[in-house]
Amino acid sequence: MSDALLSVRGVSVTFGGVKVLNGVDLDVKPGEIRGLIGPNGAGKTTLLNVICGIHSPQQGDVLLDGVSIAGRKPSDIARLGLGRTFQTSQLFRGMSVLENLMTGRHHRTKAGLIAASLNLRSYREEEEQAEEAARRSLEFFGMSEFAERPGSALSFGQQRVIEIARTLIGDPKVVLLDEPAVGLSINRLAEFDALLRRIRDEKGVTLILIEHVIRLVMDVCDQVTVLSSGSRIAEGPPDLVRNDPAVIEAYIGKDLRARHSAS
Amino acid sequence: MALFGRHNVLLAMLLFAAVAPSLLNAYYVFVANTILIYVLLAIGLNILVGCAGQLAFANAAMFGIGAYGTGLLQVQLGWPFWLAFPSGAIIATTVGLALSLPALRLSGLYLALSTLAFAQFTQWVFLHWESVTFGAGGFKTPSISFAPLPVSKTLGLYYLSLLLVIILFFLAQNLMRSRIGRAFVAVRDGDIAAQSLGVDLLRYKALAFGISGFYAGIAGGLYSAMLNFVSPEGFDLFQMVIQKAMVVVGGLGSIAGSILGATALVSVLEALRAVKGFQEIVFGAILVSFIIFMPGGIIGFLKAKVRGWEEPLHRGPPGKRVPIATPSQSGEVRS
Repeated sequence: MSDALLSVRGVSVTFGGVKVLNGVDLDVKPGEIRGLIGPNGAGKTTLLNVICGIHSPQQGDVLLDGVSIAGRKPSDIARLGLGRTFQTSQLFRGMSVLENLMTGRHHRTKAGLIAASLNLRSYREEEEQAEEAARRSLEFFGMSEFAERPGSALSFGQQRVIEIARTLIGDPKVVLLDEPAVGLSINRLAEFDALLRRIRDEKGVTLILIEHVIRLVMDVCDQVTVLSSGSRIAEGPPDLVRNDPAVIEAYIGKDLRARHSAS
Repeated sequence: MALFGRHNVLLAMLLFAAVAPSLLNAYYVFVANTILIYVLLAIGLNILVGCAGQLAFANAAMFGIGAYGTGLLQVQLGWPFWLAFPSGAIIATTVGLALSLPALRLSGLYLALSTLAFAQFTQWVFLHWESVTFGAGGFKTPSISFAPLPVSKTLGLYYLSLLLVIILFFLAQNLMRSRIGRAFVAVRDGDIAAQSLGVDLLRYKALAFGISGFYAGIAGGLYSAMLNFVSPEGFDLFQMVIQKAMVVVGGLGSIAGSILGATALVSVLEALRAVKGFQEIVFGAILVSFIIFMPGGIIGFLKAKVRGWEEPLHRGPPGKRVPIATPSQSGEVRS
């Protein structure tokens, strides 16, 4: 598929003799919300780590908007337009929520040592714009009143939302979300699929999410890719994937299949 | 603005520092100049350790490299102080930049050990490369002159130190509240997340090491000129412990805290100079009690208790959580 915004081609990763990813392909179109599911140990997080540059693949390539990014530094890949969030909260504890968000503008700002330390006008303007972007983003997520709080004072679920905001503020083309719904309250979870769609529609961002909350994946994703033991075993619209016998066997398991047919 | 806020207190300290030489005798002017030099050391070290989170033990060595560089360029090559001084600082900066290379691969304890090894190596060079460094006995540096300005060397150096402290304080303060300061804190608080936001680890670790090397180099040059003498023992492990203690007592990650920490500890050390053995004991006690009872340092205490000490990039005392979010106006509790 040549119209893919993010394209993973035949990626293999081995850790000390264990093949964690085995020739995985993935093509995600612009504006898509893609679900990435699979049992524990399937290689989902490893795949995200390869895409964002934490691991380099032994084989294969990753293209972002036609540019090969496999094996490049994570900071370079971020600059090229790839954002991600992590399974555990990675908010910077020593900064306020607002400063955390402004850090998300880091690679979109360029004040150097001299401009910053001499408080030059070019730097101050850039700083004001970053702060304004951060406040707008807090508004978008309905969390304006948390701006001045230290990141560590937020609940786990709030921290996760701020992390998504912090990634989006850097104007990424593609955002990888690693289990974004973990730690969300029931109320938040109910709004979460709407929030993901709003992010896609209003920010024009393509989303790839690993998620164990299957209802969320089925509701919000346009396409779902299933990994098992480092290989892609199924791909397609949620309805097709959920009824795919291989998926039910490998991922959802017999117990659920029984419940499925009973309902 | 609060009466005893950061702005007013620092301004009062500055005013006192400006008139101090006309109020104090020669010994106290020497002490005041020592404080100014340690303020520079503490600011540089705090940027590296407190802000960027790099647990490095090479600051005393870089202080020594600044002092030796400034002194030796005058003695061995006959350079004037005005040329030797900035060159010494540039040498220390370069060494700092080079030290960031191991820091890219190492962190925590391993970085501490490797920088400690580097510090010991520097000490060894000072001691044993006798043809250049004059060995264990050290060497005298030429007395500098501030002519044509009508000031003595002591006063001239004091005001040069004060001027540099003011300039370098403001540069550091501006830097820490900029995107560069945020990148440092991001590297400290989570380097994987920092990278995923486009922060280049190599670049920012090198920058932090280079800045701390520069501040230590400037301090070293001033120190050699103040004492007119350079010898290895001023730059040993105890020197490193003193500087670390200043940063901890003042407040990790706070530039204003560095000033308070350096002032407090130099004062304590000087007050105890008469009872030599006691110095180390009291010193250790201060360090331990701060780590246990006031991990946020003086600045952490002031931020909690006195209005007007808030800083950008505030670092809450580790372990102590600020009250959890209260329900918002609408009564909706966000998760």
